[in-house]
Amino acid sequence: MEKNRFYEDLSLILSRTHKASIVIGLLLLLLVFFCWKIQILDHKKYWTQAEANRTRESVILAPRGLITDRNDVILAENTASFKASIIRENCRDYDQSLAQVGRLLEISPEDLKTRITKYESLPLFRPIVVKDNLDLKDVSRIESRRLELPELIVETDPRRYYAFGSLAAHVIGYMQELSAPELKSEAYPDRSLGDMVGRTGVEKQYESILVGADGRRLEIVDSQGRGRGETSRSEPTPGRDIQLSLDFDLQRKATQLLEGREGAIVILDPRSGEMLALASFPTYDPNKFVTRFSPQEWMDLINREDHPLENRAIRGLYAPGSIFKLTMALGALNAGVITEQTSFFCAGSVHFYGRAFNCWQRGGHGALTLTDAIRHSCNVYFYNVGRRLGIDRIAESALMLGLGEKTGIDLPGEKEGLVPTVEWSRSVRKSDWYPGETISVSIGQGPLVVTPIQIAVHTALVANRGRGVIPRLLLTSGSSQDRPATKAAGGTPGEKIRPDCFETVIRGMWKSVNQEGTGRGAKVDGFDVCGKTGSTQLISRERAEKLGKEIKTHSWFTGFAPRDNPQVVVTVLVEYGGMGGATAAPLAKELFALYKEKNDRPAID
Amino acid sequence: MIDRRLIENIDWFLIGLLVLNSLLGVVVIYSASHYVPGNYHWRQLIFLGASLLALLIILLIDYKVLMTFSFYFYGAVVFVLLLMLLFSRFISKGSWIRLRYFQIQPSELAKIAIILVLAQLFAEYKRSHVSGAAVVASSGLVALPFLLVALQPDLGTAVSFLPLLLGSLILAGLRRRAMIWILILAIFAGIAGWNFYLKDYQKNRLATVVFPSRDPQGSGYHILQSKIAIGSGGFLGKGFARGSQSQLKFLPARHTDFVFSVIGEEFGFLGVVGVLLLYYLFLWRLFRSAAKSRDRAGVYITFMVSLMIAFQLLVNVAMVIGIFPIVGIPLPLISYGGSSLLANFLGVGLVLNVKMRRFANI
Repeated sequence: MEKNRFYEDLSLILSRTHKASIVIGLLLLLLVFFCWKIQILDHKKYWTQAEANRTRESVILAPRGLITDRNDVILAENTASFKASIIRENCRDYDQSLAQVGRLLEISPEDLKTRITKYESLPLFRPIVVKDNLDLKDVSRIESRRLELPELIVETDPRRYYAFGSLAAHVIGYMQELSAPELKSEAYPDRSLGDMVGRTGVEKQYESILVGADGRRLEIVDSQGRGRGETSRSEPTPGRDIQLSLDFDLQRKATQLLEGREGAIVILDPRSGEMLALASFPTYDPNKFVTRFSPQEWMDLINREDHPLENRAIRGLYAPGSIFKLTMALGALNAGVITEQTSFFCAGSVHFYGRAFNCWQRGGHGALTLTDAIRHSCNVYFYNVGRRLGIDRIAESALMLGLGEKTGIDLPGEKEGLVPTVEWSRSVRKSDWYPGETISVSIGQGPLVVTPIQIAVHTALVANRGRGVIPRLLLTSGSSQDRPATKAAGGTPGEKIRPDCFETVIRGMWKSVNQEGTGRGAKVDGFDVCGKTGSTQLISRERAEKLGKEIKTHSWFTGFAPRDNPQVVVTVLVEYGGMGGATAAPLAKELFALYKEKNDRPAID
Repeated sequence: MIDRRLIENIDWFLIGLLVLNSLLGVVVIYSASHYVPGNYHWRQLIFLGASLLALLIILLIDYKVLMTFSFYFYGAVVFVLLLMLLFSRFISKGSWIRLRYFQIQPSELAKIAIILVLAQLFAEYKRSHVSGAAVVASSGLVALPFLLVALQPDLGTAVSFLPLLLGSLILAGLRRRAMIWILILAIFAGIAGWNFYLKDYQKNRLATVVFPSRDPQGSGYHILQSKIAIGSGGFLGKGFARGSQSQLKFLPARHTDFVFSVIGEEFGFLGVVGVLLLYYLFLWRLFRSAAKSRDRAGVYITFMVSLMIAFQLLVNVAMVIGIFPIVGIPLPLISYGGSSLLANFLGVGLVLNVKMRRFANI
């Protein structure tokens, strides 16, 4: 640059501009490198994210299968319900919006916040349910504020509805939302947060039949979550209906009879094992679970002393008391330690192993044969039988007759009870078996415990003269493979007992009801009811007298009818009900009578 | 005042690159906003015409003359910024003054005033290294408008004053070269820390602490959506006006600060490299113009204008690809916005002004 000679020398600062421009160039190159990384190396990741951004998958809920009784009375159905949901993405000011929504729906902001926090992991555009079962007033209030509160929307949902509420709560069970840990487990592969699932009862047992498959809808959406057209859609597959063997008339009657008491009633058909009624009281309203409890309501329910959620029919463990005399009689007859004619003398009490064992009849029954011992439920007679039989043979026949193991009813959570043996005493209880305990077990006391359903199945086995049944609730479900397995033919343990043993015991049971025995309260004219009462002592009579107050016994009755062609088994347990003959037997009578009346009536169609 | 020789010496190539880059901006703005009301592309085209006119007008006046009035310009700008701060409720909204038909952003035009006043300050500064007094004087001149703008609060624009100060000090000769290296190292350390060390929520917190004027809730979302847009563009892009991120409004500030993301999404890596190449050509031409200056002040002006544009480009791109916190700095020439466009055109106008008057005493 020749001309520059006329001007001042700028070479120093020019070289500085030059260097700076090189630095700028290098930085530009660096930016190109970063773009290359994002656009070429990580392209796939961002492409996927962009696709997820612009498409929204929404679920079309599949209606759950109906549950009906054997006469097509609908026990569980689906109704539409309105629910209010928040779309967080549309909130202008999160806290303010929560306050407004809370005021509108009358929910405290804390509850609202807790609820939303629970679903934080969902994408922002997914609605979060904040209030269920809106009434029309709520719906119109929300709709009128659509513009002010774009984040609050009303959705409709198929909702589980139990028309009869608490009347069959323990059989049907209830539904609850899946919890976050459950969603992660393998048990619920296709479910998502907020889905309801059967928690107990038939709803849980047959979840896979009832549930159906939700449909999916894929939409293109903009950043405001507004739909810009559907790209694909798969229709939901409704769940399949199931029909239960329950007879709702009997079920309702059974529940109503228990009203005001604590106890359980089981009615089944001994021919097939079909359950006709299964009632447990106190009960609860399963609809409450669908509509979501307030935390307070839930705590009240689970902390109640009388445990309404517990299904006493399959989970309540009770000493069988005198009901066990049936088992004793069968075991002893079969083992040959007694015959029908064997007689013992009852003087009101008897001394074994250095202590006195009382009969419930203080004056004693005098000399009795087996059938009369069953009829009058004489303790002394069975103390003697028990002493002859010994604990191991008692346990053997009890197990053979279905006690001490689950009956296999198609309900979750069944308990198996306990039939004590010497072995059990050593390994579990860690103490020796005392001979006196054998005497207690002989009349169904001691460590022996059973569930009402076990007693019902036991009774069915007696009624069938040795053929055992598996109780089941499911009648049809539209597909045959869902039927619960039935015991392999010929393999029922009860058949190891000679048929004539059953006839003897049944005669005693018949006498008990029909010949002024302890079970006379269950007598139904023209129906030939055979039954046995039980009153289980919770504390010894001496101790009760010492305490100076009356502790009532658990009251049992189990029976079947008619005698020669058994069609129905009824088992009643009333906690603290007093004497079996006084409390449980009359309840059973009503149920036998209702069954008879229904079956005598000619079918209308 | 102006004669044929001057017109012959105008760098039409530089003007061509300038207008080409700006027209590219109009196209991308159309793609990013044609589906919303506002006609941003037409408005940007009008701004482009007006800015070009302003550029040609500024060529009429010798930059030496402009420099002699530089303290008045500077004073006027500072006065307006001060008024905006004091009476913000009546005349302005943040960094904007609302006029009848449009808004202007005086802080953008402040850059030109700062460039002129710094050039004036260093015009006769012939030492090989900068003195303490000069550092204090120049820093003070920049610090005053910096604070006024930062308080508006518009940290992005305020920060873009800093390269002007840095540029003038570099030319005047920072004594310790090490300082430059430390600065570069600091930038690298910052970038590395941002990308590899800090967790997302920490970044968000940092962003909230350091850049409170930006939407704190949204910053993480913005960076993410911007990266998704650019990354999903891939090599060839999704095509003009066909980017799902921008068309479906997932991208924030699509036609303004995040316009580069739209380029990345719709034109892909190829488009990004193309745009940056065009930019590089433009910047190279700007930087090289320094050699065509007849005096020291001209070199200062040219260098500061070049740095001003280069800095905004680098920071904006770094910001939208997520390696720099989100500060409100637009992509020069391409982002929608009249004041920014006008400031950049006036800057380039100054460079052309210096260049066409490189032969003394005409």
